[in-house]
Amino acid sequence: MFITCGGEGSGGERMGETGFAAVEKIDGKSTVTRCFSKYPLKLIIPKKAGSSTSDAVWIFSLSYGGGIVSGDRLVLGLSVGDGCTVALTTQASTKVYKSVGSKCSEQILEAKVGSNALLAVIPDPVTCFSTAIYSQKQIFRVSSDSNLVIVDWITSGRHESGEKWDFDFYKSNNSIFIGNEPLLVDSVLLDQKSSPTVAERMKGYQVVAMIIIMGTKLKHIQDQLQIEIQQMMEVYFRPTTVRKREMIPDSGNHPSSPPIFASCSAFGPKVGVVVRILSTRTEAVYDFLRHHLRGLEQFLGAPPYCR
Amino acid sequence: MRCSPTTVTEASNVLGNDVQVFKANGVESDSINYHQWSQWQLLDSFLPTGGFAHSYGLEAAIQSCFVVGLEDLRFYTLSVLDNTGSLLLPFVHAATKSPNFDAWLKLDRLLEASLTNEISRKASSSQGSALMRIAASIFLEIPSLKKIRESALISGNCLFHHATVFGLVCGLLGFGSEFSQRAYMYMATRDILSAATRLNLIGPIGAAILQHQMGGDAEKLVKKWMNRHVEDACQTTPLLDVIQGSHGYLCSRLFSS
Repeated sequence: MFITCGGEGSGGERMGETGFAAVEKIDGKSTVTRCFSKYPLKLIIPKKAGSSTSDAVWIFSLSYGGGIVSGDRLVLGLSVGDGCTVALTTQASTKVYKSVGSKCSEQILEAKVGSNALLAVIPDPVTCFSTAIYSQKQIFRVSSDSNLVIVDWITSGRHESGEKWDFDFYKSNNSIFIGNEPLLVDSVLLDQKSSPTVAERMKGYQVVAMIIIMGTKLKHIQDQLQIEIQQMMEVYFRPTTVRKREMIPDSGNHPSSPPIFASCSAFGPKVGVVVRILSTRTEAVYDFLRHHLRGLEQFLGAPPYCR
Repeated sequence: MRCSPTTVTEASNVLGNDVQVFKANGVESDSINYHQWSQWQLLDSFLPTGGFAHSYGLEAAIQSCFVVGLEDLRFYTLSVLDNTGSLLLPFVHAATKSPNFDAWLKLDRLLEASLTNEISRKASSSQGSALMRIAASIFLEIPSLKKIRESALISGNCLFHHATVFGLVCGLLGFGSEFSQRAYMYMATRDILSAATRLNLIGPIGAAILQHQMGGDAEKLVKKWMNRHVEDACQTTPLLDVIQGSHGYLCSRLFSS
């Protein structure tokens, strides 16, 4: 039912890697040819994740104990061969526990995506607990005809218990290179020591998400996303008159802030789109992802974020 | 009075700290004075670089009610300045330090990849192109400026992003990266508050008062973010990126960005 990746020493791991998986075409099917993982990372590859007609390999990345402990360093290498399809996901949101002794928790993904291949990185969000220190780096080396979906998102913390943007430090970098040329390089840094505070910068929003979609196979999804986000957002913009402004005091967490606020931009210049979203509710972002990424079902065998 | 770039660079780098040092040395002080005319011209909004067309997302922020009053404007401006520091100052710094064609082109491409919202990217490119054109026309004493511009146009894949063009121009003029980074932050403050007056959010006197009040905050941000490596360039306010990127959804607008 599952391929559980071998432990240390079983896959020819590179220095510092805690996990590696290679997928190549064998007899016309995307097949895992190498796989290993070791503490604190566990990789699980179900033999049948999607429909039997799809050619996708699903890789679940898990952390022991359901979260990342202070000082943990998870380093994953991934190789997606020409023409292959891989989905990399999680079983639940990644909790980053409080920092002990100012140690940083770190996750690094370095993925190589071949010609005409498709890699969908579609995890649940990262949730940093109070005083957590977390850094994440995802590097994608692709070909000009690769297809890529990257969802990278974070929630404000255990907001039911009042933890809202209470972590100490969060940094996330996503970089896409074609050869040595940078195609997209995005780094978000949320540092509690800054002024204004992280919570003040978020203006009442509890979730920040970024979606990157590139490649010709996914053009229809990109186009749909651009049109629908425009339609969704247009209604929130109204030319203001002086009178309206005189009536409303300073906004603060203004009640008329849209519950989901998003913008979509092309990049590359026309290779792909990048969407940045802020939302007051995690479930609203799940709905958004489910809706806009349902077009991936034909490639992955199952629609993302449906459980 | 002409001076070798090295002398001017050394002088200009320290300029912000202690002008008195140079009064003793007549030659260097004349150069400082001479170059101040060019520096002021670069920072003057009278320079035709099309900066008046851009609001740094302020128009979108006003229309979506994120910025309604004076305190919101102050907060918004601070957010933009913080982001300017974290994301753009590394590029200004690097371009000033290495004002040559190859290094500058590489930085331009990296900045193109680092500006994730299309609206900001286009605004940066259009302002940078205008600045490059005008600088090549004005500063004829630096013939490499014109040559670099021509080579870039021929190469066809240069976007002339604003931060890197500004850094390059300052570098070639020998102004030093302490000047160029501080100046870049100054221009961002100037342009947002100018946009705020044209959007009727604040009057011209109010804007001038606010600009002066924010000088201290801007200086703190310059000190916080200056002299960092481009590999460390990052965004600090995701909401800002979304607001700036949503300018295209405005049905009626005064500004291009």
